[in-house]
Amino acid sequence: MRDKLLHAPLDLDPFARTVPRIDDALSRRVNADPESLERGLAQLVLTIVELLRQLMERQALRRIDAGSLTGEQEERLGRTFMELDQRMAELREEFGLTEEDLNLDLGPLGRLL
Amino acid sequence: MIELYAITDDPGPPLPDVAGLRLVPFDGLAAVCTPASEAEVSPETLWHHEEVVEALMADRDLLPVRYGTRLDDEAAVARAMEGRSGELAAALDRVRGAVELSVRVVAAGGTPSPPDPPETTSGAEYLRVRAQAEASHDDVARALHEPLAERARESTEGRPHPPELFRAAYLVERAAIDSFVAEVGRLQSVSAGLAILCTGPWPPYSFAER
Repeated sequence: MRDKLLHAPLDLDPFARTVPRIDDALSRRVNADPESLERGLAQLVLTIVELLRQLMERQALRRIDAGSLTGEQEERLGRTFMELDQRMAELREEFGLTEEDLNLDLGPLGRLL
Repeated sequence: MIELYAITDDPGPPLPDVAGLRLVPFDGLAAVCTPASEAEVSPETLWHHEEVVEALMADRDLLPVRYGTRLDDEAAVARAMEGRSGELAAALDRVRGAVELSVRVVAAGGTPSPPDPPETTSGAEYLRVRAQAEASHDDVARALHEPLAERARESTEGRPHPPELFRAAYLVERAAIDSFVAEVGRLQSVSAGLAILCTGPWPPYSFAER
């Protein structure tokens, strides 16, 4: 695949780490057994939860920028988002999903997250 | 079963002599297909599909078809395309004469990426790190995306996969590839803290559907 590199830094390792393994993606897509159906449902539900989490987090960042929160409110909000984030990571792991799996392609509207 | 590779103009240049390619014509367009392979799905079969599409792309414009699209026979292909030729011709016009280039950016060695929010820190600290990560993504996007998008017909930003700071696909005229890549080189030379990877030319995967 070297011939596909139009401009590349000397060290390609950081990019290699970000490539989701193709085998994983393939094995996920071709198995339509009951277990993967359950996963599909979990994927959908977690996607919606993640969308809401990100929207609320951005809203919180805007409010902090605007200076409309007290220090104590900031701390409480931040802790809530941090715990939500950790919980989401645990749930993703439980269902064998990656962050990218929680991103829906909405066609003309682009990617959900 | 037959497997679809691409939608292209008909008539077009002769098909490359790979994989037993055939054309199924419909309404001034054609679907390029082959008898479906019996081989197990694997990274190798995926790369083979990509190589066939790239061989086709060498001397024609095309809409790449999603890997693994199979239909019963040529009649089924013609039926599937029925009534969609207007839409497909418009989609083909959108990418005509252009290819897809991919750009991905990470922090250069020695420059720390925005850290993952540490687990034991305070809530305020967590939000501060988040805001910082968002701001550094925005900075990279502003500095790189705008000059590159100017040299492209269209562009679409993707969600970066950590530790990436930025990723986007650009629909670039074939004749403008060199100047696009030169601009990537210029941006790299003025962005010491970033490592920029540009790959292609790819079939216009990110611009084949609306």
